[in-house]
Amino acid sequence: MKVFSSTLLVSIFLLSGCTVDVKPWEKETLAKPTMKETGTNPGIKKYEEHIYFSKEASRGGSGVAGGGCGCN
Amino acid sequence: MQLKISLAAATLISAMALQAEDYVSVQYLQYDENKNRTSISAPSLIFNKDFGTDYTLNLNFVADAVSGASETWYDGASGASAFSRGENVNADDVTYGNVDYEDTRTAGGAVLTTRFDNRDELTTGLNYSMENDFKSTEVSGEYMHWLDSSKNSSLSFGASYQFNEVLVHDTVSGGSEAVDADAINVQLSYFQNLNAESYLKASIFYIGDSGYLTSPYLNVVRNYDSVANTADVVQENRPDSRAAYGISLKYANAITDNLSAHVSYRYYSDDWDIDSHTIDSDFYYELHDDWVFKVGLRYYMQSEASFYNADKDHFTNEEYASSDKRLSDFNSLTYKSDVEYFISEEWSVNLGANYYDQSTDLSATYFVGGVTYRF
Repeated sequence: MKVFSSTLLVSIFLLSGCTVDVKPWEKETLAKPTMKETGTNPGIKKYEEHIYFSKEASRGGSGVAGGGCGCN
Repeated sequence: MQLKISLAAATLISAMALQAEDYVSVQYLQYDENKNRTSISAPSLIFNKDFGTDYTLNLNFVADAVSGASETWYDGASGASAFSRGENVNADDVTYGNVDYEDTRTAGGAVLTTRFDNRDELTTGLNYSMENDFKSTEVSGEYMHWLDSSKNSSLSFGASYQFNEVLVHDTVSGGSEAVDADAINVQLSYFQNLNAESYLKASIFYIGDSGYLTSPYLNVVRNYDSVANTADVVQENRPDSRAAYGISLKYANAITDNLSAHVSYRYYSDDWDIDSHTIDSDFYYELHDDWVFKVGLRYYMQSEASFYNADKDHFTNEEYASSDKRLSDFNSLTYKSDVEYFISEEWSVNLGANYYDQSTDLSATYFVGGVTYRF
């Protein structure tokens, strides 16, 4: 856990030195559907996460909600 | 000066228009594994609606029809079934192969996002899932706090709790018993816009599973006796708790006006001795205003659980034992492709073809097609 926390803190530290103050009117590109975290189609992302969850032994990192599955 | 303000306002309005989230999307998944194993047909519906600027409601529904076969050990003398078990059976009859199964799953969820005066967000969710032998109810909540006035960096904390109920078949009595298997998921995330074209998100997470984590349908072979040529085919047994930690990093960059890249990495570790690394990438290319092409590649690798072994002659009286290949040491590659065509500003259709390949003998193709209406 210490490794994870340290990595996050280091990431934040590094980011604080290499970011610029993006003004609201400069966020057109960031607001495009192709830049969304879930991609342009959230439905496809949900399907894929469900497939990985049912075929692999690890999960997590993409949000806390997702619903259960008796995939065992 | 006035012109500059007008241009800035127009750009902001344009960006807001791009963020409009009101849509209904119907998608259909067809998933097929090799060797006549699992096939899934899954239609889904997603409804997303903004109410003013302070609330967003997301409703989703999916129905899975699952059929095919899964691999496990069984006593072939009493049939190819997950429940073909027994002690001191003839070792020549002990078989590792497909056992048929069918299932249906219906799942639905509602997520409400509330924005406060300072534009911090509270997201609350409720999910429900039901299968023939499994029920799950999940509650979740996440709070996102902006760290700066320009809203370029934020900190989020979320947690969910799953109340799961597994129906376990008793091969002796022939009856079934409902047992609990709950899960808690906690995640802390930091989001940062790096510039006008890229952002990064870093998260740490904890997942705790407790209760009945054994599969009711998977078996192991114990006490193989090569002299007497006998063995016991019994249900697998897993620990009743599992604690997992992980970190994930995601980076998105608009390389040009019409090409953007998403790259992510996840590290996962749990107390079953499973460690995994996942590298995922998606590239989007916009052609004119009406086509969006996506290609992606995902690489995954994991180590095996401490109680996993696939051999017939390995397990004796160990407390925990499983031959489930999903707990083995393997890696996988997923090749992803998708195209979305915008018929108009409101309507779009999408079609994707994907291939999943594990270093075990599992591979699968899955196609996703759908229609989205924006309003």
